[in-house]
Amino acid sequence: MATIVRPVDEPRRPNIATADVQLPAVKDYEQVDREIIATLHPTTAWFIGLGVAIFFLIVGAAAWIYQIYAGLGVAGYNPPVMWGVYIITFVFWVGIGHAGTLISAILYLFRAGFRTTIYRCAEAMTVFAVMTAGLFPILHLGRPWKFFWLIPYPNWRYLWPQFKSPLVWDVFAILTYLTVSSTFLYIGLIPDIATLRDKEKNPVRKRIFSVLSLGWRNSDREWRHFARAYLFLAAFSTPLVLSVHSVVSFDFAMALTPGWHTTIFPPYFVAGAIFSGIGMVFTIIIPLRKWFGLKHYVTINHLDAAAKLCLFTSLVVGCAYMQEWFVAWYSGIEFEKEFFANRIWGQWWWASVILYTCNMVLPLTLFKQSWRRSPTWLFILSFFINLGMWFERFVIVVPSLSHEFEPWQWGGYMPTWVDFAILAGSFGWFSMWFLLFIKQLPVIAISEVKEIIPPKLRKQHDHGIDSASRHLGYEPATPGEAS
Amino acid sequence: MKSKRKWLAIPGFLALAAAAATLSAYAGASSSEGNAPAQPVAFPHTLHAGGNLKMNCIYCHYSAGKSPDPGLPAVGTCMGCHTTVAIDKPEIKKLAGFWQRKEPVPWVRVHKLPEYVHFPHMRHVNAGVSCQECHGQIQNMAVVYQQNSLNMGWCINCHIGRSNPQFKARYDCATCHY
Amino acid sequence: MSAETEAAKPGVKRRDFLKVVGATTVATTAMGCSSERVEKLIPYLVSPDETVPGVSTYYSTTCRECSAGCGVVAETRDGRAIKLEGNPEHPLNRGALCAKGQSALQGLYNPDRYRTPMIRKNGRLVAATWDEALTLFRQKLTETRGAAANAVFINRHESGNFPSFLNTWLASQGMPAALSIDPDIDHAAIAANKQSYGVAWPRLNFSAARLIISFGADFLDGWGANVPQQLDFADARAKLETAPRLIYVGARRSLTGLNADHWINARPGSELAIVQMLGGSVTAQQASQASGVDVAALTELQREFAAARPAMVLAGGASPRGMELCLAANALNQSAGGGATIGSSSGINGFEGIDSPSQLRAVAQRMQAGAVPLLMTRGVNPAYTMPKSSGFAAAMAKVPFKVSFSSIPDETSALADLVLPDNHSLESWGDAEPVRGTLSLQQPVMDPIFDTRATADVLASLGTAGATYRDIMIGRFPGGATGLAAALPRGIASGSTSVLVPRVAPAPVVGQPGNGDFFLMVYPSPLLGTGDGANKPWLQELPDPVTKIAWQTVAEIHPSTAARLGVENGDHVTVETVAGRLTLPAYVYLGIRPDTVAVAAGRGHSEAAGRYARAGHNAFDLLPYSEDRSGATSYSFAKAKVTKDGGFSRLVTTEGSARQHGRGIGQAMTLAELAQPQAHESHGEYPGDASHEFLPGLRSPTANDAQGDLGDKGEESKEKGMYDPKHWSGMAKHRWAMTVDLARCTGCSACVTACYAENNIPTVGADWQGPKFMPDRTGFGANITRSREMAWLRLERYFEGGEDGSANFDTRFVPMLCQHCGNAPCEPVCPVYATYHAPDGLNVQVYNRCVGTRYCSNNCPYKVRYFNWFGYGEPARAQYAFPEPLNWQLNPDVTVRGKGVMEKCTFCVQRIRDAENRASLEKRGLEPDEFTTACAEACPSRAITFGDAADERWTVAKLAHDKRAYHVFEELNTFTAVVYLKKVNHPGAAATAAAATAPATSGGH
Repeated sequence: MATIVRPVDEPRRPNIATADVQLPAVKDYEQVDREIIATLHPTTAWFIGLGVAIFFLIVGAAAWIYQIYAGLGVAGYNPPVMWGVYIITFVFWVGIGHAGTLISAILYLFRAGFRTTIYRCAEAMTVFAVMTAGLFPILHLGRPWKFFWLIPYPNWRYLWPQFKSPLVWDVFAILTYLTVSSTFLYIGLIPDIATLRDKEKNPVRKRIFSVLSLGWRNSDREWRHFARAYLFLAAFSTPLVLSVHSVVSFDFAMALTPGWHTTIFPPYFVAGAIFSGIGMVFTIIIPLRKWFGLKHYVTINHLDAAAKLCLFTSLVVGCAYMQEWFVAWYSGIEFEKEFFANRIWGQWWWASVILYTCNMVLPLTLFKQSWRRSPTWLFILSFFINLGMWFERFVIVVPSLSHEFEPWQWGGYMPTWVDFAILAGSFGWFSMWFLLFIKQLPVIAISEVKEIIPPKLRKQHDHGIDSASRHLGYEPATPGEAS
Repeated sequence: MKSKRKWLAIPGFLALAAAAATLSAYAGASSSEGNAPAQPVAFPHTLHAGGNLKMNCIYCHYSAGKSPDPGLPAVGTCMGCHTTVAIDKPEIKKLAGFWQRKEPVPWVRVHKLPEYVHFPHMRHVNAGVSCQECHGQIQNMAVVYQQNSLNMGWCINCHIGRSNPQFKARYDCATCHY
Repeated sequence: MSAETEAAKPGVKRRDFLKVVGATTVATTAMGCSSERVEKLIPYLVSPDETVPGVSTYYSTTCRECSAGCGVVAETRDGRAIKLEGNPEHPLNRGALCAKGQSALQGLYNPDRYRTPMIRKNGRLVAATWDEALTLFRQKLTETRGAAANAVFINRHESGNFPSFLNTWLASQGMPAALSIDPDIDHAAIAANKQSYGVAWPRLNFSAARLIISFGADFLDGWGANVPQQLDFADARAKLETAPRLIYVGARRSLTGLNADHWINARPGSELAIVQMLGGSVTAQQASQASGVDVAALTELQREFAAARPAMVLAGGASPRGMELCLAANALNQSAGGGATIGSSSGINGFEGIDSPSQLRAVAQRMQAGAVPLLMTRGVNPAYTMPKSSGFAAAMAKVPFKVSFSSIPDETSALADLVLPDNHSLESWGDAEPVRGTLSLQQPVMDPIFDTRATADVLASLGTAGATYRDIMIGRFPGGATGLAAALPRGIASGSTSVLVPRVAPAPVVGQPGNGDFFLMVYPSPLLGTGDGANKPWLQELPDPVTKIAWQTVAEIHPSTAARLGVENGDHVTVETVAGRLTLPAYVYLGIRPDTVAVAAGRGHSEAAGRYARAGHNAFDLLPYSEDRSGATSYSFAKAKVTKDGGFSRLVTTEGSARQHGRGIGQAMTLAELAQPQAHESHGEYPGDASHEFLPGLRSPTANDAQGDLGDKGEESKEKGMYDPKHWSGMAKHRWAMTVDLARCTGCSACVTACYAENNIPTVGADWQGPKFMPDRTGFGANITRSREMAWLRLERYFEGGEDGSANFDTRFVPMLCQHCGNAPCEPVCPVYATYHAPDGLNVQVYNRCVGTRYCSNNCPYKVRYFNWFGYGEPARAQYAFPEPLNWQLNPDVTVRGKGVMEKCTFCVQRIRDAENRASLEKRGLEPDEFTTACAEACPSRAITFGDAADERWTVAKLAHDKRAYHVFEELNTFTAVVYLKKVNHPGAAATAAAATAPATSGGH
């Protein structure tokens, strides 16, 4: 028998870094099921949003087809700037794809309670962001139809990829990360899918759900295995969070190019990735909690905690920027020094200004609690963060290449409409998947939310309730257990 | 149990597909292998290069020993004999037709390497590689067809001395690709 | 191309095409696996004895791109000419060939060429058969019988037998002898030379001089005989200890000026005063007033000139007093050079007998008066080269019947009533007399591509003797047919031709300079001359050696002027003279006087001149017509107003930054520094010294990329396969390498064109090759404004010093190509092994393996990798760089790259393979220096040497260890296979004294 606890008010300064996050407004399991499943019903606004997303996707796809036909020259490449918007956007999306796993895996291991209500959304974002990022290495190729040559497969020509090339490492890193993060997302979804299955009326969807839920019966044994599997996967994907973006950073760090050739890139990229990821989480979760009426699930406390994490990563990134300057000066390499001078006073000064303002200055506002706890500000800030992080990659890729060793070949760079169309297309592609997701599967983890409903609220029943809110004749020690 | 097997079928199928793709890539299947186009004049290598005539390949493909290009017999070369030999045969009549119209015979190419591959015939001929090594038993071909795949791996096998140790030669890319 | 020729476009003669395709299908279709396509093999009908399919045949003939008459060897494959090289046996060019000469091929294969005779019917030229055309011609000839004495034939000047043959024919028609015109030549100098030396153009003996003072004599920019002068100059400068110091006096630093050790920026037209000062007839003060140069500099010049003996004084006459200048300079030269600096009798015979431009002006006046019944032109384009103000083109309208023998459309032939297209010089017989007593033979190297006929044959057929010109030639040749056949392989024979006697120049017309606060300098482009190069994409794409501008006409102004006008590179300025006005993008150039604006001639042709020649603007429109005493047109005397115009257009330039930023790419030293003792193994004995353990040949290729271990690790290193020097393939025994001697290099860029020709490099600047796909870029050179030029070998031109706008800056020309690093940054980053290190030291790019990640280019410190953005090599594409029949020139041994692959210098690997094949056929190894790359072969200053650095018998192996040797960016440990030898500066006595205290001016290290 569970002990009976007095109702408590929300503390003024909740310690939400621990597991006991409180959702005072959530009364019982039925409410959880009801409210969250309610978010799954398509609305007109949603259809419009989906339409817009698909429109941008088509624009981008058309631009790409045109580029394949006409040649890569239609993009704004301007030697020596041989990489441009595509690689920038690639790194941008990979970065976005980091917050998800961080929140769902690392914070899970750290028992950071505030992850509970936002991790599902973040994780979906991760999977779709990586799916988006994965496109760019292919569509920036001169001969994209030959991309499979980057994959090592035994062939009659006795030819293999160059395993020294960071681009090959990329292939492995991205594919691994995509596999693991999507598996992780799916595993976490299983109990919720089971819930949906039980609530579903439509036979077709019910069938699909029952397949996807792998016949989840909510039994004690299943829960034990589930918890183990989830813990294992969390532990498994934790190093990936660090490895993937490190590998991506090798694309630059392994090159000779001044501004690229530096050992600080891996930590710097990972921090930046998490930073941008959290920014994107804000961009997504804040409107969602409003439109889906989930404010009492994703509470200000959660946002506050996430904002702290955001602030922290921003400081790390800022520190990395400073470090770059120090190294440039300390190394005494003329190329390096001149490049960094050029970064500020050269033709790309404006990009650097955007970068430093968005990533170093603006996040400092989060030191003030009232700003941290203002969804509106967080939402606005998140846009600046996304912008800033995109420009961080711009500043890394373009000015470095345009101002290399050989002064005779110094050049400029101006993207064309094709670059922008494909950039927009990537956002369309991402949004399409995400929009489809939030109307098919719960964007908030039902089962985990149920775990943190204050125990006293269960008291009004003298007996337990299983995940399908069927009444049980006894009070289980584990919520939802039936055996 | 039954349902389990059913859902196992999907990954199983995918795995099979992947394996098939890999294998075909590995086996170096060639779409042009066995290609035997019809020629404007049905020239039987069996009669000339084979049979009891046994003409030397170099007689017609005169530059095979001194040029990257094996060379094709000029129509004049054919007419060297065929003004007197077998003039009543329909194919020879065709040939004579070309000769009178002063048109070269538009032979259809059988053995074709991509343009980015350089194959110097003389290097191979002078190294003692017989024509048959690559072109097959051409003296027994009534209609010439491509016997070997002419794939890169097929070349490499010889260059690294796997298929035929005495013919081993350099095998870095720039040997043929430039 | 113009509508007329479009209407009449039967294309190449099918039969001939089949014939030239021969028994081989050349590898000139775009790269990409096309083995599925059904392909025809077309054999010969009757096989020619001398040719072997797939093996090149070489014909020696004569270059007709300028009047000098260099000897060329045309490489033909299966009936088509694919490459021109210099003829090593030839007395003039001794195996070298300039960019113009290389581009003769694009005249031959020019898609805009007349494909048939053309007759003007109701206002437009339409195609006709030769019978129709010749009947019409005959008829007109008979019609003009009466007034035949007034008929005019203007011929492109050439030496040899043709002119006399032509004049005989004209005489038989009762017509006066032809005008022999060469618009590119400096006629004032010729007239002066005739007086001073008795020859039109003496051989300039640079190596005899200790000091050379050039008064606007651009002997490296095509002033006179380009190639021989460059060879001699480079040889003279290469003898470091006795090398002559070069001082350039002029308002603008031309290529010659940039090669000078010192520049005295005198006002245009004021050179005479300085010459007189050196002669002693004028004081330094007066000279300084006239020239705007401060007295100190002039007195210093005086002192130096007095000290240096023998000295050489050269002058180029572009001013109204050009002839006086040249005469004075020659006199000075005689006294100071003691005759040593001027080769006595042996001159450039090709320049004898050229008529002055004033003759054309006179013709224009007669035409205007309606006194000319029949005008015939061949190879000249006076309607363009004569400034509008001379009224030539306008006057042509007054001529009842005009015949053009041009093989390619131009402004003049567009006005003609009848076009009897001549064969290209590579399709016709002829001879030249480059040096007195030596004939340079000209023979067709292939069948005519189009339905054209050699003018000589046409005239012969019209004349009494029905023979062809070839027969006439044989008849005249000692030994007849056999003698000719025996002489043809060498291309030269002894013998001489009757020399033309130029007409006396009429009284000069002196034009009005007008007013304005700028001197206008119009100068013939070093590449396009006075315009006949403009229809050749190679020459249009090749950046001007000085301004580095391609496909564009710019107004060159001094930085201070630019600041005053508030313009920067690309801002439009309007240049206005009494003759006309042009709005041009500004190019801010350090090497020009602040009170002078310079515009290069040669571009901006009319629609009629074909698809390429339209690029840019015509500088001649700015020229008020004026002549000097010799009848030469004055190019720099007019005053101009220069005002800022609102517009802006991107400069079509390959120049990123003209400064080295101390990175030591082009390094220089002085003799003093060279003399300093040094230990070879140590690094940095004098600034920028290469540490010699990195020099190629001292170690086998390190092949870090491919095998992990350094090549010289010996036994304990892991299996290195073919990278093991002991491997049976023996590949690692070679180390292909190159040295570039910056003391010789003059920056003429002939090597670049040679590279284009040899390696099927597409030109990307034509106006249909980009703008459609790049809305923000339009017009000619759109791709180049995005730095998408494809030149595998580029010539960088760096300035040292002169940041304050002062005249004393040093120029470094650096031919930059793939350095074939032993430890190449590009290799490990390519994910698919498309670039890797060959055991013989080549950094190989495998086009068909490349997927186009462009990572290699990002990681290349030298930025010498070029990406094929649009598939310039794919015939189906809008950007196709080789419209029929330009594609006939493509080298069958080199893959034509398709869309989306990276490409770069291969050290002419096809030539290496070819040499290896030849060696193996002859059962021998490679002989030292038995072959070389295209750039090295063409180089007119012999600055480039290629070979096997691992075999000390090769020249390159010795040069690589020269005291001046260094690697670019050596500190990156790339172990490059290209070794540069430092430029050697010859500072004046004063500067040397200063330099003794200050550190050397060489960049970097």
